[in-house]
Amino acid sequence: MQAKIAGGPAFAHIHLELAPGESIVAESDAMASMNADLDMETNFNGGFFPGLAKKFLGGESLFVNTFVNNTQKNRRLTLTQGIPGDIRQVTLKNQSLCLQPGAYICSTPGLKLGVKWAGFASFIAREGLFKLMVSGNGTLWYGAYGGLVDKQIEGEYIVDTGHLVAYPPHMKLKLQLAGGLFSSLFSGEGIVTRVEGFGNVTLQSRSLSGLAGWLNSKL
Amino acid sequence: MEAQVLHSPGNSAVKIRLAPGEVCTTEGGAMIAMSGDMQIQTSTHKKGKGGLLRAAKRMLSGESLFLNHYTAGPQGGDLFLAATLPGDMFVYELQQENLIVQGGSYVACEHQVEIDLGWQGFKTAFSGENLFWLHLKGTGKVVVNSFGAIYAVPVEDEFIVDSGHIVAFQETLDFELSKAGKSWVGSFLGGEGLVCKFRGKGTVWCQSHNPPSFGKALGPKLRAR
Repeated sequence: MQAKIAGGPAFAHIHLELAPGESIVAESDAMASMNADLDMETNFNGGFFPGLAKKFLGGESLFVNTFVNNTQKNRRLTLTQGIPGDIRQVTLKNQSLCLQPGAYICSTPGLKLGVKWAGFASFIAREGLFKLMVSGNGTLWYGAYGGLVDKQIEGEYIVDTGHLVAYPPHMKLKLQLAGGLFSSLFSGEGIVTRVEGFGNVTLQSRSLSGLAGWLNSKL
Repeated sequence: MEAQVLHSPGNSAVKIRLAPGEVCTTEGGAMIAMSGDMQIQTSTHKKGKGGLLRAAKRMLSGESLFLNHYTAGPQGGDLFLAATLPGDMFVYELQQENLIVQGGSYVACEHQVEIDLGWQGFKTAFSGENLFWLHLKGTGKVVVNSFGAIYAVPVEDEFIVDSGHIVAFQETLDFELSKAGKSWVGSFLGGEGLVCKFRGKGTVWCQSHNPPSFGKALGPKLRAR
Protein backbone atom coordinates (compact mmCIF):
# COMPACT_ATOMS: atom_id res chain seq x y z
CA MET A 1 0.00 0.00 0.00
CA GLN A 2 1.29 3.39 -0.94
CA ALA A 3 0.07 6.43 0.96
CA LYS A 4 0.71 10.09 0.43
CA ILE A 5 -0.65 12.95 2.50
CA ALA A 6 -1.20 16.01 0.29
CA GLY A 7 -2.63 19.49 0.79
CA GLY A 8 -1.40 19.89 4.37
CA PRO A 9 -1.44 21.59 6.75
CA ALA A 10 -4.53 23.53 5.62
CA PHE A 11 -6.45 20.89 3.65
CA ALA A 12 -4.67 17.59 4.15
CA HIS A 13 -6.08 14.49 2.49
CA ILE A 14 -4.73 10.99 1.88
CA HIS A 15 -4.04 9.49 -1.54
CA LEU A 16 -3.81 5.72 -1.25
CA GLU A 17 -2.87 3.13 -3.80
CA LEU A 18 -4.14 -0.31 -2.85
CA ALA A 19 -2.33 -3.30 -4.35
CA PRO A 20 -4.46 -6.32 -5.35
CA GLY A 21 -5.92 -7.95 -2.22
CA GLU A 22 -5.16 -5.05 0.08
CA SER A 23 -7.82 -3.33 2.15
CA ILE A 24 -8.25 -0.35 4.43
CA VAL A 25 -10.81 0.53 7.10
CA ALA A 26 -12.09 4.11 7.01
CA GLU A 27 -14.37 6.34 9.02
CA SER A 28 -17.85 6.76 7.57
CA ASP A 29 -17.99 9.47 4.87
CA ALA A 30 -14.18 9.66 4.60
CA MET A 31 -14.09 8.66 0.93
CA ALA A 32 -13.66 11.55 -1.51
CA SER A 33 -12.98 9.59 -4.68
CA MET A 34 -11.91 6.13 -5.84
CA ASN A 35 -11.67 3.76 -8.77
CA ALA A 36 -15.13 2.39 -9.45
CA ASP A 37 -14.04 -1.25 -9.19
CA LEU A 38 -12.89 -1.03 -5.56
CA ASP A 39 -15.35 -2.84 -3.28
CA MET A 40 -16.78 -1.06 -0.27
CA GLU A 41 -18.26 -3.00 2.63
CA THR A 42 -20.03 -1.34 5.52
CA ASN A 43 -19.73 -2.85 8.97
CA PHE A 44 -20.54 -1.93 12.52
CA ASN A 45 -17.59 -0.19 14.09
CA GLY A 46 -16.11 -3.29 15.79
CA GLY A 47 -19.45 -5.11 16.18
CA PHE A 48 -22.92 -3.91 17.11
CA PHE A 49 -22.49 -3.02 20.78
CA PRO A 50 -18.92 -1.76 20.51
CA GLY A 51 -20.14 0.25 17.50
CA LEU A 52 -22.90 1.82 19.56
CA ALA A 53 -20.42 2.57 22.31
CA LYS A 54 -18.08 4.29 19.88
CA LYS A 55 -20.87 6.35 18.36
CA PHE A 56 -22.43 7.57 21.56
CA LEU A 57 -19.39 7.53 23.81
CA GLY A 58 -16.40 8.00 21.58
CA GLY A 59 -17.84 10.53 19.17
CA GLU A 60 -17.18 8.30 16.17
CA SER A 61 -19.64 6.83 13.70
CA LEU A 62 -21.67 3.70 14.22
CA PHE A 63 -20.40 2.30 10.94
CA VAL A 64 -17.03 2.05 9.29
CA ASN A 65 -16.31 1.25 5.67
CA THR A 66 -13.79 -1.29 4.47
CA PHE A 67 -12.40 -0.71 1.01
CA VAL A 68 -11.05 -3.85 -0.64
CA ASN A 69 -9.14 -4.17 -3.88
CA ASN A 70 -10.47 -7.36 -5.48
CA THR A 71 -9.03 -6.51 -8.89
CA GLN A 72 -5.70 -7.52 -10.41
CA LYS A 73 -4.35 -3.97 -10.64
CA ASN A 74 -3.36 -1.21 -8.23
CA ARG A 75 -6.39 0.90 -7.39
CA ARG A 76 -6.61 4.51 -6.28
CA LEU A 77 -8.55 5.78 -3.24
CA THR A 78 -8.62 9.27 -1.70
CA LEU A 79 -9.74 9.69 1.90
CA THR A 80 -10.32 12.94 3.77
CA GLN A 81 -11.83 14.45 6.91
CA GLY A 82 -14.69 16.91 7.33
CA ILE A 83 -12.71 19.71 8.89
CA PRO A 84 -9.82 21.61 7.29
CA GLY A 85 -6.53 20.71 8.91
CA ASP A 86 -3.53 18.46 8.95
CA ILE A 87 -3.33 14.65 8.91
CA ARG A 88 -0.73 12.44 10.58
CA GLN A 89 0.33 8.89 9.70
CA VAL A 90 1.63 6.68 12.54
CA THR A 91 2.76 3.07 12.66
CA LEU A 92 1.74 1.09 15.73
CA LYS A 93 3.68 -2.05 16.65
CA ASN A 94 1.67 -3.77 19.36
CA GLN A 95 1.02 -0.33 20.76
CA SER A 96 -2.00 1.78 21.57
CA LEU A 97 -2.85 5.39 20.97
CA CYS A 98 -5.71 7.47 22.37
CA LEU A 99 -7.46 9.92 20.05
CA GLN A 100 -9.82 12.81 20.66
CA PRO A 101 -13.39 12.17 19.41
CA GLY A 102 -13.64 12.56 15.64
CA ALA A 103 -9.89 12.44 14.95
CA TYR A 104 -9.84 8.91 13.51
CA ILE A 105 -9.77 8.73 9.70
CA CYS A 106 -8.56 5.31 8.60
CA SER A 107 -6.31 2.37 9.47
CA THR A 108 -4.97 -0.89 8.09
CA PRO A 109 -6.98 -4.00 9.08
CA GLY A 110 -4.54 -5.09 11.83
CA LEU A 111 -5.64 -2.26 14.10
CA LYS A 112 -8.61 -2.40 16.45
CA LEU A 113 -10.73 0.50 17.61
CA GLY A 114 -12.10 0.62 21.13
CA VAL A 115 -13.49 3.03 23.67
CA LYS A 116 -12.16 3.54 27.14
CA TRP A 117 -13.44 5.48 30.11
CA ALA A 118 -11.57 8.77 30.12
CA GLY A 119 -12.97 10.28 33.27
CA PHE A 120 -14.99 13.32 34.14
CA ALA A 121 -11.95 15.57 33.81
CA SER A 122 -11.73 14.72 30.14
CA PHE A 123 -15.46 15.39 29.72
CA ILE A 124 -15.28 18.85 31.26
CA ALA A 125 -12.18 19.52 29.16
CA ARG A 126 -14.39 18.89 26.10
CA GLU A 127 -12.33 15.83 25.18
CA GLY A 128 -15.29 13.50 25.80
CA LEU A 129 -16.22 11.21 28.67
CA PHE A 130 -14.74 8.28 26.82
CA LYS A 131 -11.64 8.15 24.72
CA LEU A 132 -11.11 6.35 21.49
CA MET A 133 -8.25 3.89 21.64
CA VAL A 134 -6.56 2.37 18.61
CA SER A 135 -4.36 -0.66 19.26
CA GLY A 136 -2.57 -3.47 17.48
CA ASN A 137 -0.19 -3.75 14.56
CA GLY A 138 -0.62 -1.48 11.58
CA THR A 139 -0.78 2.03 10.23
CA LEU A 140 -3.18 4.68 11.47
CA TRP A 141 -4.13 8.04 10.00
CA TYR A 142 -5.75 10.68 12.15
CA GLY A 143 -6.56 14.32 11.57
CA ALA A 144 -7.30 17.53 13.38
CA TYR A 145 -8.58 21.05 12.93
CA GLY A 146 -5.52 23.21 12.22
CA GLY A 147 -1.88 22.17 12.19
CA LEU A 148 -0.45 19.37 14.32
CA VAL A 149 2.22 20.02 16.94
CA ASP A 150 4.21 17.28 18.68
CA LYS A 151 5.38 17.64 22.24
CA GLN A 152 7.58 15.21 24.13
CA ILE A 153 6.41 15.26 27.73
CA GLU A 154 8.54 14.24 30.65
CA GLY A 155 6.62 14.52 33.87
CA GLU A 156 3.82 17.00 33.28
CA TYR A 157 2.63 19.58 30.84
CA ILE A 158 -0.37 21.88 30.50
CA VAL A 159 -2.57 21.93 27.39
CA ASP A 160 -5.56 24.18 26.70
CA THR A 161 -8.85 22.28 26.58
CA GLY A 162 -9.91 21.07 23.15
CA HIS A 163 -6.38 21.04 21.72
CA LEU A 164 -5.26 17.54 22.68
CA VAL A 165 -5.50 15.23 19.63
CA ALA A 166 -3.49 12.08 20.40
CA TYR A 167 -1.67 10.72 23.45
CA PRO A 168 -0.39 7.37 24.71
CA PRO A 169 -2.90 5.50 26.92
CA HIS A 170 -0.69 5.46 30.01
CA MET A 171 -0.76 9.25 30.29
CA LYS A 172 -3.12 10.80 32.81
CA LEU A 173 -5.29 13.82 32.18
CA LYS A 174 -6.17 16.15 35.02
CA LEU A 175 -8.15 19.31 34.98
CA GLN A 176 -7.17 22.56 36.58
CA LEU A 177 -7.58 26.31 36.36
CA ALA A 178 -5.11 28.07 34.09
CA GLY A 179 -3.93 30.35 36.90
CA GLY A 180 -5.57 31.93 39.90
CA LEU A 181 -9.33 32.44 39.91
CA PHE A 182 -9.09 35.93 38.44
CA SER A 183 -6.67 35.14 35.63
CA SER A 184 -8.50 31.91 34.81
CA LEU A 185 -11.73 33.82 34.28
CA PHE A 186 -10.32 36.78 32.41
CA SER A 187 -7.21 35.53 30.63
CA GLY A 188 -9.28 33.66 28.09
CA GLU A 189 -7.61 30.41 29.07
CA GLY A 190 -10.18 29.20 31.62
CA ILE A 191 -9.79 25.53 32.36
CA VAL A 192 -6.71 23.72 31.11
CA THR A 193 -5.69 20.07 31.03
CA ARG A 194 -2.66 18.85 32.92
CA VAL A 195 -1.09 15.89 31.14
CA GLU A 196 1.03 13.66 33.35
CA GLY A 197 3.43 10.90 32.35
CA PHE A 198 6.17 10.27 29.83
CA GLY A 199 5.58 10.17 26.08
CA ASN A 200 4.73 12.08 22.95
CA VAL A 201 1.44 13.98 22.70
CA THR A 202 0.02 15.66 19.60
CA LEU A 203 -1.82 18.95 19.77
CA GLN A 204 -3.91 20.84 17.22
CA SER A 205 -3.17 24.50 16.55
CA ARG A 206 -6.86 25.46 16.36
CA SER A 207 -10.00 24.32 18.11
CA LEU A 208 -13.43 23.99 16.56
CA SER A 209 -15.15 25.31 19.69
CA GLY A 210 -12.87 28.34 19.46
CA LEU A 211 -14.08 29.01 15.92
CA ALA A 212 -17.70 28.38 16.93
CA GLY A 213 -17.36 30.81 19.84
CA TRP A 214 -16.01 33.51 17.58
CA LEU A 215 -18.69 32.89 14.95
CA ASN A 216 -21.46 32.86 17.55
CA SER A 217 -20.60 36.41 18.56
CA LYS A 218 -21.10 37.48 14.92
CA LEU A 219 -24.36 35.68 14.22
CA MET B 1 -3.18 36.54 -20.02
CA GLU B 2 -0.89 34.78 -17.58
CA ALA B 3 -2.31 33.32 -14.39
CA GLN B 4 -0.40 32.08 -11.37
CA VAL B 5 -1.97 30.56 -8.25
CA LEU B 6 -0.40 31.76 -4.98
CA HIS B 7 -0.68 30.33 -1.44
CA SER B 8 -2.20 27.04 -2.56
CA PRO B 9 -4.04 25.15 -1.14
CA GLY B 10 -5.01 26.91 2.10
CA ASN B 11 -5.85 30.47 1.21
CA SER B 12 -5.15 30.74 -2.47
CA ALA B 13 -5.29 33.84 -4.66
CA VAL B 14 -4.57 34.09 -8.35
CA LYS B 15 -2.25 36.69 -9.86
CA ILE B 16 -3.24 37.57 -13.40
CA ARG B 17 -0.90 39.44 -15.73
CA LEU B 18 -2.59 41.14 -18.67
CA ALA B 19 -0.90 42.43 -21.83
CA PRO B 20 -1.68 46.03 -22.90
CA GLY B 21 -5.34 46.28 -23.81
CA GLU B 22 -6.08 42.66 -22.93
CA VAL B 23 -9.41 41.89 -21.25
CA CYS B 24 -10.09 39.44 -18.41
CA THR B 25 -13.60 38.54 -17.31
CA THR B 26 -14.14 37.72 -13.61
CA GLU B 27 -16.84 36.79 -11.15
CA GLY B 28 -18.25 39.89 -9.40
CA GLY B 29 -16.56 40.59 -6.06
CA ALA B 30 -13.47 38.49 -6.71
CA MET B 31 -10.93 41.32 -7.09
CA ILE B 32 -8.62 42.03 -4.15
CA ALA B 33 -6.03 44.29 -5.81
CA MET B 34 -5.08 45.57 -9.27
CA SER B 35 -2.95 48.04 -11.22
CA GLY B 36 -4.06 51.67 -10.97
CA ASP B 37 -4.83 52.15 -14.64
CA MET B 38 -6.99 49.05 -15.08
CA GLN B 39 -10.39 49.83 -16.65
CA ILE B 40 -13.42 48.06 -15.19
CA GLN B 41 -16.71 47.45 -16.89
CA THR B 42 -19.53 45.66 -15.15
CA SER B 43 -22.21 43.89 -17.10
CA THR B 44 -24.74 41.18 -16.65
CA HIS B 45 -23.37 39.42 -19.69
CA LYS B 46 -20.36 39.17 -21.89
CA LYS B 47 -19.81 42.18 -24.08
CA GLY B 48 -22.09 41.88 -27.06
CA LYS B 49 -23.36 38.44 -26.11
CA GLY B 50 -26.49 37.25 -24.38
CA GLY B 51 -28.37 39.43 -21.98
CA LEU B 52 -30.22 39.57 -18.75
CA LEU B 53 -31.70 36.13 -19.24
CA ARG B 54 -28.27 34.55 -19.45
CA ALA B 55 -27.20 36.46 -16.34
CA ALA B 56 -30.25 35.30 -14.43
CA LYS B 57 -29.48 31.76 -15.48
CA ARG B 58 -25.91 32.17 -14.23
CA MET B 59 -27.26 33.38 -10.90
CA LEU B 60 -29.15 30.11 -10.53
CA SER B 61 -25.82 28.34 -10.42
CA GLY B 62 -24.75 30.28 -7.36
CA GLU B 63 -22.64 32.78 -9.25
CA SER B 64 -22.98 36.53 -9.09
CA LEU B 65 -25.44 38.31 -11.40
CA PHE B 66 -22.64 40.54 -12.55
CA LEU B 67 -19.43 39.90 -14.40
CA ASN B 68 -16.56 42.33 -14.29
CA HIS B 69 -14.39 42.96 -17.34
CA TYR B 70 -10.93 44.29 -16.61
CA THR B 71 -9.01 45.96 -19.46
CA ALA B 72 -5.29 46.57 -18.94
CA GLY B 73 -3.73 49.97 -19.67
CA PRO B 74 -0.98 50.72 -22.22
CA GLN B 75 1.72 49.12 -20.04
CA GLY B 76 -0.35 46.03 -19.24
CA GLY B 77 -1.37 45.34 -15.67
CA ASP B 78 -1.77 42.95 -12.75
CA LEU B 79 -4.94 41.73 -11.17
CA PHE B 80 -5.26 39.70 -7.95
CA LEU B 81 -8.39 37.62 -7.45
CA ALA B 82 -9.61 35.48 -4.55
CA ALA B 83 -12.68 33.57 -3.43
CA THR B 84 -14.71 33.91 -0.22
CA LEU B 85 -14.07 30.47 1.23
CA PRO B 86 -10.58 29.24 2.10
CA GLY B 87 -9.36 26.76 -0.49
CA ASP B 88 -7.47 26.02 -3.64
CA MET B 89 -7.59 27.25 -7.25
CA PHE B 90 -6.44 25.87 -10.56
CA VAL B 91 -5.77 27.34 -13.97
CA TYR B 92 -6.75 25.40 -17.06
CA GLU B 93 -6.26 26.25 -20.71
CA LEU B 94 -9.23 25.38 -22.88
CA GLN B 95 -8.47 24.28 -26.42
CA GLN B 96 -11.68 24.25 -28.42
CA GLU B 97 -13.49 22.32 -25.70
CA ASN B 98 -16.08 22.54 -23.00
CA LEU B 99 -15.28 22.47 -19.28
CA ILE B 100 -18.15 21.87 -16.89
CA VAL B 101 -17.67 23.69 -13.58
CA GLN B 102 -19.61 23.34 -10.34
CA GLY B 103 -21.82 26.36 -9.62
CA GLY B 104 -19.98 28.86 -7.43
CA SER B 105 -16.50 27.74 -8.47
CA TYR B 106 -15.94 30.07 -11.43
CA VAL B 107 -13.35 32.80 -10.76
CA ALA B 108 -12.16 34.24 -14.06
CA CYS B 109 -11.47 33.52 -17.73
CA GLU B 110 -9.99 35.07 -20.82
CA HIS B 111 -12.41 37.34 -22.56
CA GLN B 112 -13.11 35.11 -25.54
CA VAL B 113 -14.23 32.13 -23.42
CA GLU B 114 -17.99 31.61 -23.50
CA ILE B 115 -19.79 31.30 -20.17
CA ASP B 116 -23.16 29.62 -20.11
CA LEU B 117 -25.39 27.76 -17.74
CA GLY B 118 -25.37 24.02 -17.98
CA TRP B 119 -27.89 21.48 -16.91
CA GLN B 120 -26.80 18.03 -15.84
CA GLY B 121 -30.32 16.77 -15.34
CA PHE B 122 -32.27 16.24 -12.16
CA LYS B 123 -29.72 13.75 -10.87
CA THR B 124 -27.61 16.65 -9.57
CA ALA B 125 -30.43 17.62 -7.20
CA PHE B 126 -29.77 14.40 -5.30
CA SER B 127 -26.01 14.38 -5.57
CA GLY B 128 -25.30 17.12 -3.05
CA GLU B 129 -23.99 19.22 -5.89
CA ASN B 130 -25.47 22.39 -7.24
CA LEU B 131 -28.42 21.84 -9.54
CA PHE B 132 -26.87 24.13 -12.12
CA TRP B 133 -23.43 24.05 -13.62
CA LEU B 134 -21.41 26.48 -15.67
CA HIS B 135 -20.15 25.59 -19.11
CA LEU B 136 -16.92 27.30 -20.07
CA LYS B 137 -16.51 26.93 -23.80
CA GLY B 138 -13.95 27.80 -26.46
CA THR B 139 -10.23 28.53 -26.28
CA GLY B 140 -8.38 30.34 -23.50
CA LYS B 141 -7.41 30.19 -19.84
CA VAL B 142 -9.95 29.75 -17.07
CA VAL B 143 -9.52 29.97 -13.27
CA VAL B 144 -11.63 27.82 -10.95
CA ASN B 145 -11.72 27.73 -7.12
CA SER B 146 -12.77 25.16 -4.51
CA PHE B 147 -13.24 24.53 -0.80
CA GLY B 148 -10.24 22.37 0.05
CA ALA B 149 -7.28 21.31 -2.05
CA ILE B 150 -7.83 20.41 -5.71
CA TYR B 151 -6.49 17.24 -7.27
CA ALA B 152 -6.95 16.14 -10.85
CA VAL B 153 -7.83 12.55 -11.75
CA PRO B 154 -7.35 11.23 -15.28
CA VAL B 155 -10.34 8.93 -15.81
CA GLU B 156 -9.94 6.05 -18.21
CA ASP B 157 -12.92 3.82 -17.63
CA GLU B 158 -14.97 4.35 -14.48
CA PHE B 159 -14.23 6.50 -11.47
CA ILE B 160 -16.27 7.35 -8.38
CA VAL B 161 -16.30 10.80 -6.78
CA ASP B 162 -18.25 11.34 -3.57
CA SER B 163 -21.06 13.85 -3.88
CA GLY B 164 -19.91 17.33 -2.93
CA HIS B 165 -16.35 16.69 -4.09
CA ILE B 166 -16.63 17.54 -7.81
CA VAL B 167 -15.10 20.85 -8.89
CA ALA B 168 -14.99 20.51 -12.67
CA PHE B 169 -14.80 17.92 -15.42
CA GLN B 170 -14.21 17.73 -19.14
CA GLU B 171 -17.25 17.34 -21.31
CA THR B 172 -15.86 14.07 -22.67
CA LEU B 173 -16.91 12.54 -19.34
CA ASP B 174 -20.42 11.76 -18.25
CA PHE B 175 -21.59 10.88 -14.77
CA GLU B 176 -24.48 9.07 -13.22
CA LEU B 177 -25.60 8.72 -9.63
CA SER B 178 -24.60 5.44 -8.11
CA LYS B 179 -23.86 3.71 -4.83
CA ALA B 180 -20.41 3.44 -3.29
CA GLY B 181 -20.73 -0.10 -1.99
CA LYS B 182 -22.28 -3.26 -3.31
CA SER B 183 -25.62 -2.53 -1.68
CA TRP B 184 -27.69 0.63 -1.32
CA VAL B 185 -28.28 -0.02 2.39
CA GLY B 186 -24.57 -0.30 3.07
CA SER B 187 -23.79 2.83 1.10
CA PHE B 188 -26.22 4.88 3.13
CA LEU B 189 -25.33 3.38 6.51
CA GLY B 190 -21.67 3.83 5.70
CA GLY B 191 -22.23 7.53 5.32
CA GLU B 192 -21.24 7.59 1.68
CA GLY B 193 -24.79 7.71 0.36
CA LEU B 194 -24.96 8.70 -3.27
CA VAL B 195 -21.78 9.00 -5.25
CA CYS B 196 -21.13 10.18 -8.77
CA LYS B 197 -19.80 7.57 -11.16
CA PHE B 198 -17.87 9.03 -14.07
CA ARG B 199 -17.54 7.25 -17.40
CA GLY B 200 -15.46 7.98 -20.46
CA LYS B 201 -12.01 9.39 -21.01
CA GLY B 202 -11.05 12.76 -19.59
CA THR B 203 -10.09 14.62 -16.45
CA VAL B 204 -12.16 15.30 -13.35
CA TRP B 205 -10.96 17.81 -10.75
CA CYS B 206 -11.95 16.96 -7.17
CA GLN B 207 -11.86 19.00 -3.98
CA SER B 208 -10.35 17.33 -0.92
CA HIS B 209 -13.00 18.70 1.46
CA ASN B 210 -16.65 19.56 1.10
CA PRO B 211 -18.56 22.37 2.78
CA PRO B 212 -21.50 20.19 4.04
CA SER B 213 -19.15 17.91 6.02
CA PHE B 214 -17.46 20.90 7.61
CA GLY B 215 -20.91 22.33 8.33
CA LYS B 216 -21.89 19.08 10.05
CA ALA B 217 -18.88 19.37 12.37
CA LEU B 218 -19.27 23.08 13.08
CA GLY B 219 -23.07 23.49 12.89
CA PRO B 220 -24.06 21.87 16.21
CA LYS B 221 -21.68 24.20 18.04
CA LEU B 222 -23.32 27.32 16.66
CA ARG B 223 -26.13 29.10 18.48
CA ALA B 224 -29.46 29.32 16.76
CA ARG B 225 -30.41 32.88 16.01
